[in-house]
Amino acid sequence: MLFIYIKRIFIGFYSLLKGFKVTFKNLLKKPVTLNYPVVKQPMKERFRGMVDLYPDKCVICYQCIKICPTAALDLGHKTLEDNKTKNITKFTFNAELCCFCGLCDEICPTEAIFLNQMYEVSYFDHKDLIKIDLMSPEKYKNVDGGTS
Amino acid sequence: MGDLVTINMGPQHPSTHGVLYLELQLDGEVVVGCKTHLGYLHRSIEKIAENRTYTQFIPFTDRLDYLASMNNNLGYCLAVEKLLNVAVTPRAQYLRVIIAELNRVVSHLVAIGTFAQDLGAYATPLFYAFSDREKIVELFDSICGSRLTYNYMRIGGVSGDIPAGTEQVIKDFIKYERKQLIEYNELLTYNAIFLARSKNIGILSKEAAINYSVTGPILRASGVKWDLRKEEPYLVYDQFNFDIPVGTVGDSWDRFKVKLDEIEQSLRIIEQAIGAIPEGNPVSKVNRVFRGTGEIYLRTENPRGELGFYLVAEGGFNPTRCKIRSPSFSNLSALEELIKGLNISDAVCVLGSLDIVMGEIDR
Repeated sequence: MLFIYIKRIFIGFYSLLKGFKVTFKNLLKKPVTLNYPVVKQPMKERFRGMVDLYPDKCVICYQCIKICPTAALDLGHKTLEDNKTKNITKFTFNAELCCFCGLCDEICPTEAIFLNQMYEVSYFDHKDLIKIDLMSPEKYKNVDGGTS
Repeated sequence: MGDLVTINMGPQHPSTHGVLYLELQLDGEVVVGCKTHLGYLHRSIEKIAENRTYTQFIPFTDRLDYLASMNNNLGYCLAVEKLLNVAVTPRAQYLRVIIAELNRVVSHLVAIGTFAQDLGAYATPLFYAFSDREKIVELFDSICGSRLTYNYMRIGGVSGDIPAGTEQVIKDFIKYERKQLIEYNELLTYNAIFLARSKNIGILSKEAAINYSVTGPILRASGVKWDLRKEEPYLVYDQFNFDIPVGTVGDSWDRFKVKLDEIEQSLRIIEQAIGAIPEGNPVSKVNRVFRGTGEIYLRTENPRGELGFYLVAEGGFNPTRCKIRSPSFSNLSALEELIKGLNISDAVCVLGSLDIVMGEIDR
């Protein structure tokens, strides 16, 4: 009985040392984490951030509205008197509903709507989040980490 | 027998892996009864599927088993492709195999890390596993633009071809991960304390596993050699050589070891597939319109077991019925029998070894 007890202590100690070997090997390696707020990782090219729009490129085809699985986009337009020119009256984006799937980006025929590189999206007011005016050039200016 | 005490484990408990609520009946420290309560993460995903077009539902499948989003995407897309007879190019099939197997590695790494953490190996194994996982997640980020909810597979292909240089990154990862697997064995698998905590704890017999319709690594750990990639090959799995790791006893340690061995087998599949990717166009545009009639049930091998999609279509743009058979749900059903007679700390060990994800249990 005593022999088994001592044997178990010995084996436990041995596997502890073996584990420490792995740990010490990692102690000498470079850190894998970033000192985040100071050092920021650049986003990948295909990264799906906030929904953004080039208003000039939009041809008002409504495909992004139809494909959006969560109905986060809202578009309205009016036709001018010559029955040819269309003007966007509103194009808003609800960041709270958005699931960042990127289907609107994929389906857009003129690449007007796209997902930008923003990832730090915190707002002070709830109202700012649910009705982002995509037509405004200053839509993400007051957001922490906003670029456009 | 003394007085029984009822304690609530969860729904907010660090070792229940999500919002699972267990009502445990304790006699001293021994569990004599267990009642599982579900429904804290219910989002009615099946109903959502009936109100979305086929393409629109793909982002929602990401949220089922959020550790293996690619495999969920794949399962759903395969089901729809079979239902509507959509052709897939060979390149897309190979890419799907590689991506799905990489996601299996990610999922098993998380399972191993969290299981070790449940046993009290505080954060070291978890962080080792996560630093390995980070390499694949970074790769997925460059392929599809997201780190967790990938939304990469499309009906009839994938959303985009892999960027240049990805093959080399995957080859480097395979080399790196093989070294890491040796390290995991040193650190965990044959560690005396780890063995004492997990060996012969929560034994699931072959018969019980089949009766509970347990699938995936849990079933294979009980000694049943059943893997859909071999038994009912989908995609191009029949062209690769790989083994099915099986356990002998069916205890928590076997369930852990099978997952570790499966990582090795997944790396083998990726290695064979990466050298044989054919040329072609894998991309399927999202503006394709799908409609048709029929009824289909298709199951695929997810990291946690068999994921099945039952779809009924009646000519519209969306399925009229969608039923999802999630592996974690069946795997969890075996818990009540497994933890009877165990200490409460061993109950945590068994729950960790079952490796459930609440996202797909509640759907």
